[in-house]
Amino acid sequence: MLSRSAERLYWLARYLERTENIARLVSVTMNLIYDLPRGTEVGWHNLLTICGVEDEFKQRFKNTTEQNITRFLLADLHNPSSLLSSLSYARENIRISRELMPDEAWEFVNELYLYATKNIETISNRQGREVFLQDIIRGCQRFTGFMAGAMSRNDSRRFIVMGRNLERADMTSRIMDFGTVLLSENRNSLLREYEGIVWLNVLKSLSATSMYRKQVRRRIKGEEVLDFLLNNNESPRSVCHCLQKISYKITELPHATGLQLELKTLIEKLTALNLLTTTPQLASINTLPKPGF
Amino acid sequence: MTTNSLWKNYQADKAYDEMMTAHGNARPLCKTLESYLQELGTDSLKNRRTAAEAAILEMGISFTVYSEQGNIDRAWPFDIVPRLIELAEWKKIEAGLKQRLKALNCFINDVYNEQAFIKEGFLPADLIESSGNFRPECIGMNPKFGSWANICGSDLVRDGEGTIYVLEDNLRVPSGVSYMMENRVITKRVFPELLRNLDIIPVDAYPAQLFDMLASLAPHPNVQPQIAVLTPGIYNSAYFEHAFLAQRMGVELVEGFDLVVENDDCVYMRTIKGLEKVDVIYRRIDDLFLDPEVFRKDSALGVKGLMRAWKAGNVALANAPGAGVADDKVIYAYVPKMIQYYLNEEPILPNVPTYLCSDPEQLNYVLTHLAELVVKPANESGGYGMLVGPHASQKELKQFEQLIQDHPRNYIAQPTLALSTCPTLCDDHLEPRHIDLRPFILQGEHSFVTAGGLTRVALRAGSLIVNSSQGGGSKDTWIINTEQ
Repeated sequence: MLSRSAERLYWLARYLERTENIARLVSVTMNLIYDLPRGTEVGWHNLLTICGVEDEFKQRFKNTTEQNITRFLLADLHNPSSLLSSLSYARENIRISRELMPDEAWEFVNELYLYATKNIETISNRQGREVFLQDIIRGCQRFTGFMAGAMSRNDSRRFIVMGRNLERADMTSRIMDFGTVLLSENRNSLLREYEGIVWLNVLKSLSATSMYRKQVRRRIKGEEVLDFLLNNNESPRSVCHCLQKISYKITELPHATGLQLELKTLIEKLTALNLLTTTPQLASINTLPKPGF
Repeated sequence: MTTNSLWKNYQADKAYDEMMTAHGNARPLCKTLESYLQELGTDSLKNRRTAAEAAILEMGISFTVYSEQGNIDRAWPFDIVPRLIELAEWKKIEAGLKQRLKALNCFINDVYNEQAFIKEGFLPADLIESSGNFRPECIGMNPKFGSWANICGSDLVRDGEGTIYVLEDNLRVPSGVSYMMENRVITKRVFPELLRNLDIIPVDAYPAQLFDMLASLAPHPNVQPQIAVLTPGIYNSAYFEHAFLAQRMGVELVEGFDLVVENDDCVYMRTIKGLEKVDVIYRRIDDLFLDPEVFRKDSALGVKGLMRAWKAGNVALANAPGAGVADDKVIYAYVPKMIQYYLNEEPILPNVPTYLCSDPEQLNYVLTHLAELVVKPANESGGYGMLVGPHASQKELKQFEQLIQDHPRNYIAQPTLALSTCPTLCDDHLEPRHIDLRPFILQGEHSFVTAGGLTRVALRAGSLIVNSSQGGGSKDTWIINTEQ
């Protein structure tokens, strides 16, 4: 496959995964607000920190209100990582990669884009916003499911899987931050009593609640949730699982040595920080061939 | 609203109407369609149109328009009422088109080699030398099967008497075939019941035929030749089609910078595995942009050294560079003669009578009859720079008089044909609109003609300009087998 096409597919996957993740992030924040006692300082502004777009936001809006922040994160085309921007980049990438994809792949993304542009105004109230976000998440999942069932396991797909998992690991780490930042900012308040609810919602945002409960049959505790999201190799959104997926795909590609080394360095860093506990699957990454092998 | 209002005031007496006679009765071939539309009625038909428009958006069928506001991706304009042709008539047209392309290819090969047609006095030599599409760089080349124009889109029109004429042959980078196929997909969604009750010839054989034709051009016998579609990129008005054809053929879609010609004069593409050799290129870039080494130095679309590789016989280019020499409205006038000369046959499809302004006598006729004629520049495409005499203002007539006198070689004139019409859904009723037809003809080792082609329709009442860039639309074309 053309090198240029590989780059497009990698970014297509990242942008689509980002679209889904922003939807999840905003949705979970709303859910959390309903659960917490009135007067709790649950900051919509935390979302800006997590997405790393505080400066961009300040250039566009004055006040960190729910309205402004959700609009900026979902609908603002001046924000390059907003949901609508991500989705339209994804659409542009797949539009020019149609010859590499199963027949309907382009239509799925195009339809989702048309839906989003047509209904974007419904996000101005919470009820409409929730419906919109769920539809976006479903649309992304539909695409992922279709690709799983229709796309050959070729190099094109390897780049897609790599892009998706890189973006996914990135967002899982950001969502973990969300819980941590929220709780550390409100140590003095009654929010601590609600700690369990915060972590429950973090799991919810990753569709991981039931799977977590099956695994950890105890009251939800922050430390265990973090460990689950980092190290549970059976959970497809855990950082560990995503890295392993990337590692497998890399080894199937030609000229992979450079990337393998990058990944190895990354894993070593995470391990040194005590974030990743070594698992057998990850150990295999650590024994990758040396350059020139 | 009553169903009758669908046909209210339908006047089919100004030109040959493809569906109705001048007396307002449906032609035998179109009876099923006419009564179906009647039964459906205005409201349902409008609903189906809405469904078709939604399908076009979802399928992302678009074309790019250049404007002062930048490039806009526009939804493909489509009229849901199909245009019907009987298989028996089509068979004759198909034979005529194959015959024509064969003769054209003989001619192009002759032009770049012996020039017998010219030496024997059938064509003045200066018409070739002055042609904007003649490429001296191609002299002496012999593409496989003597086939220079491998993909041709010929425009057909039907006049008031019902006779089909060839209006022009597009031998450079003709487009529209993807829309022909997508139109059928939309029609299947919109009129499923109708398609079941008629014996309509399918149109989706084209990509496989194109693939086989391209594969047959590979310079060296190879089990699986590497084929690529070379596009100018996403800003080209036909980008949709380039991607569509690459996808349907399962070949790479490449841009100039994806390709490189190495010191061995072979073409390679840059892949994730390294450089991979390319055997056949279906290029959708004009000659002059193909290779900055030979043609325009400033071309960022082409590939340096591509002509070198082609001349060395290491890569096949379709259409071959220089094939456009026969895609010239002056040369067009000589096609019937070519058919007699090269094939020793009589032309099956007639040419539209054409006056060459380069000939003093014919020029004189053109200048004195300008208001009745259609004047076309010899080398333009897309319906630009034309004068439709009967529709033109005094000022436009004066302007063209001057243009023609200044550059007679650049212009031809033809009688204004009353292009046939076809019922077209306008607002909430049907009106006759002028149409043409662009079938696509392939010639490599074998010849192939699409089943029908792309019917283009001038959406403005009375207009004769069918080009999508100038407010034209399209229709699905049904070749119907009436034999049981």
